[in-house]
Amino acid sequence: MPQTLKLIDKRVLLPAETALALGTVSRMELLRLKTIARVYARGLPPDVAWDDLLQEALTRIILGARQQPEGVMMVAFVAGIMRSLRAEHWRRVGKRSGGNEAGRLDRICDRHRAVDIPEPAPGPERSLSAQQELKAIDRLFADDPAALKIIAALGQGLSAEQIRGALKISKSDYDSARRRMRRALLREGLTCEPK
Amino acid sequence: MRTKVKVALPEMVLTRILEAFGQELIDASDEEIIEAAKDLGMDPHMRGSAAFLGLTFPTRLNVSDVFDLQAIKDLIPRSKLSRISTDRKDSGQK
Repeated sequence: MPQTLKLIDKRVLLPAETALALGTVSRMELLRLKTIARVYARGLPPDVAWDDLLQEALTRIILGARQQPEGVMMVAFVAGIMRSLRAEHWRRVGKRSGGNEAGRLDRICDRHRAVDIPEPAPGPERSLSAQQELKAIDRLFADDPAALKIIAALGQGLSAEQIRGALKISKSDYDSARRRMRRALLREGLTCEPK
Repeated sequence: MRTKVKVALPEMVLTRILEAFGQELIDASDEEIIEAAKDLGMDPHMRGSAAFLGLTFPTRLNVSDVFDLQAIKDLIPRSKLSRISTDRKDSGQK
């Protein structure tokens, strides 16, 4: 009877540990990704934590489900996967809440043809959660009025140049406000506090 | 004629802001990350640094992360056996 070999190390590795061991990401890139994951997890329900987003994105890369396109930096690539995981989550929630409608559309569409079903409109749960997160962001930058104005303009979809024009601030003032914002986001992203 | 006021949905506003924040962090330099970690009293170069919480060690610890469950499973029947034999000795003395 064949004997099963005993493993010397029985530890279960986290996807981030595996990615680090394989050289897929560096330690500094992992830290950068942690801060990005914390940003993208904002507004998601408590059962979808930032580490779930990041570990899932890394798992997809390790398993080969997602392949890094040429010329795209690893951090930007993983960030893109996390963004799509976030969008995927809201699509699933939308389908669940509008389940009857989705079922009816599924039945009428041809099995062999791809049919584009529009993304369902955001429900009250998502709106409420977004409002709470916007307030949390306001609190985070409460002592930096320039940053708050820039964030409000970013929310309106304005570009850097449009923001400088609308707020009548110089390029150096704008850049230094962005540096302060980045520092605050990095601190928030690296903290050991749960949320 | 009334002026139409376009009000952006909060989720749309949040998504735009988060994407802009994400881009800022993608562009952040290693030095900025180290400085932010130092602000929090962390040294990312240290092995087991708290900065890696949730990355190389989990944020939510399981019992198995702290204790060797197999060793405990082996120990429980042994401790029960020794307790039974002690109980028998005690009852025999009476």
